[in-house]
Amino acid sequence: MSYAVLMVPDFALHALCRAEAELRGQPVALVAGEGRRARVTAASAEAAGVMPGLAVTLAMSRCPGIILRPREPAAEAEAQRLLVAAAFTLSPRVEATASGTCTVDLRGADLARSEALLRRHAAELALAGLPLRAGVAATPLLASFAARCAQPVRVVDDIPQFLAPLPLEFAEPTEAEAGVLRGWGISTLGGLTALAKGDIGQRLGTGGIALWERAAGETTRLLRHVEPSRSFAAEWSYEPPVESIEPLFFKLRRYAERIALELRAAGLVAERLALTLLLEDESDHRREFRLPEPGADVEGWLRVLHSHLEGVRTEARVTGVRLVARPARPQEKQDGLFDTGLRDPASFWENLARLAAIVGDDRVGTPVPLDTHRPDAFALAKPAEAVPPPVGRVVHPAYGPTLRRFRPGWEVDVACAEGRPVRLAGGRLEGAVRAAAGPWLASGDWWKPEAWAEETWQVELERGGLYLLARRAAGWSVEGMLD
Amino acid sequence: MSGSPQTVSALRSLLAARFPEKLRRPGGEVAAGVGPLDDALGGGLPAGRLTELVSTAPSSGGQTVIAGLLAATQAARQRLALIDAADGFAPDAVAPDLLRHLVWVRCRAPEQALAAADILVRDGNYAVLILDLRGCAERVLRRTPATQWYRLHRAAEGSPGAVLVQTTFPLVPAVPWRLALDASLPLAAAAAERTAVAEGLQVHPERSPVGGVEELTA
Repeated sequence: MSYAVLMVPDFALHALCRAEAELRGQPVALVAGEGRRARVTAASAEAAGVMPGLAVTLAMSRCPGIILRPREPAAEAEAQRLLVAAAFTLSPRVEATASGTCTVDLRGADLARSEALLRRHAAELALAGLPLRAGVAATPLLASFAARCAQPVRVVDDIPQFLAPLPLEFAEPTEAEAGVLRGWGISTLGGLTALAKGDIGQRLGTGGIALWERAAGETTRLLRHVEPSRSFAAEWSYEPPVESIEPLFFKLRRYAERIALELRAAGLVAERLALTLLLEDESDHRREFRLPEPGADVEGWLRVLHSHLEGVRTEARVTGVRLVARPARPQEKQDGLFDTGLRDPASFWENLARLAAIVGDDRVGTPVPLDTHRPDAFALAKPAEAVPPPVGRVVHPAYGPTLRRFRPGWEVDVACAEGRPVRLAGGRLEGAVRAAAGPWLASGDWWKPEAWAEETWQVELERGGLYLLARRAAGWSVEGMLD
Repeated sequence: MSGSPQTVSALRSLLAARFPEKLRRPGGEVAAGVGPLDDALGGGLPAGRLTELVSTAPSSGGQTVIAGLLAATQAARQRLALIDAADGFAPDAVAPDLLRHLVWVRCRAPEQALAAADILVRDGNYAVLILDLRGCAERVLRRTPATQWYRLHRAAEGSPGAVLVQTTFPLVPAVPWRLALDASLPLAAAAAERTAVAEGLQVHPERSPVGGVEELTA
């Protein structure tokens, strides 16, 4: 067992339907040729009575409402990249054999693991709109035979038994050879290989020998290897431009599936996602999402993107989208014995990313005070994996009610008597001051351009409420409520 | 529809007798670290349920309750998420040690806060989720569809953590526990230790599943 073939039947048709949301579940046929010579080359299962080779007019009469489309090279290229990415998860030796077909050299690979991976890919690609068939066998040719009759994965152990019932067409005889063999009553590969190769050579010549060898699965060849993708990006356009999130999201999913598979094939994960919406007025909307837990999970990415896109309002319609995944090596770590870690790490990091998509990367995290006496100076850091133990006895306990800040502070006019605030007016907070404590003077960073100095007071208003007032060069402000 | 308080109370008692399992707190309690609040709730914030804390008066201690919860969860090495709708939390107002288990979400609008709550309430990693809606315009909060609150109720029921909603007026429909902080602190409180301030808060139960916390904890 050395080779695997991954193929998608009716690849061009599936690639087209996969790329366009409105074609899902509709009777669709691919058409080649023009005018009266136009013929159907492939038809979806919903197009009842329409088969390849049928004239377009006949197809339309047999299936009213059928959608006739030419091949879409961009959609096929994208689907091919997805297929190649799936192949690279099996082995680094991959051949892009044809449109919709890849051959993988599995020599040295674990067969059970390869088969399990193929079954997983078959399920995933089916959801992604590509019904994958895969065959595993001793030669590329046998593997391709196996793929053609797989449901969805076929591993060939007993070659003669596998080949015997296959129709003769699998070995691709010429028309003349097929006619002769039909005359002999031979319609299967088993029937042909039951005859001696030499006898076939005597009757049909060298072509007959090559046919017999193909029928016996003996033909082998060298693969033309391709290089795996090194850019984990996708860009696509919309014609006409789109205004709502649904068409955006449909294609985002399609392209994200491919990028995630390419990352997995390269043994990488995404650390950041960069999304650019290209707008009709030639401006753009850019946003980069930091994924707190680097990964290649499409659903997780999409939740982050969806959370962000739901709140995006652009001035113009979207004409194109660019999605770039910044790759990173996956993290590996072992938890400490006494760590109180996360119950569900995947959900924790994913939810943080979704929150960041809603409120912004710089507005979610664990606050860390900065090394300064400047009020309200802090940074937001990535939350810790484990909750650290509490420090011992508190030396300097906190005093008074806890401050709740108004950001930015409310400007206010403060009337003073004997240097103490007695009344607030002219702002969002007004009233007589019942009692005041202060002042507390503070300053810092005098050697920097952003030097600061302030005088603060705690005041209790007649109508109730404790507030923190600050007086700076610009005037008075209410910094917050002591609550 | 309207009904007299006696009728509603009688109906609650009847339901409590008929469906006692509905009143049982599914995940126990999370001690808030604020004596009057824990006493009013019969032990602490109920896990898997919403609790509404209404600060009807200014400086009535809502932020001190948050500081108490930070200390209590840190002592138990649990996580706390604070969804701050009006971006009012002051990290420099609490000890740095009490911040290391906190996930702070600084929102710009109440809609963002509700969307964040919808996400975090389903995350099983937090012992306490605080949705602080104080400081938001009342007319904006009143526009929140009731279905959004019911959705939050349902999500909280499947969560191992407690959810505390802080407001300045009764807002959450069908909330099982609603408590009020209705006394402003005097300036003298600024000179007292914070633990003493917390112990002196005046917390009044306004709603419990059977019309009284005493009945619930008996």
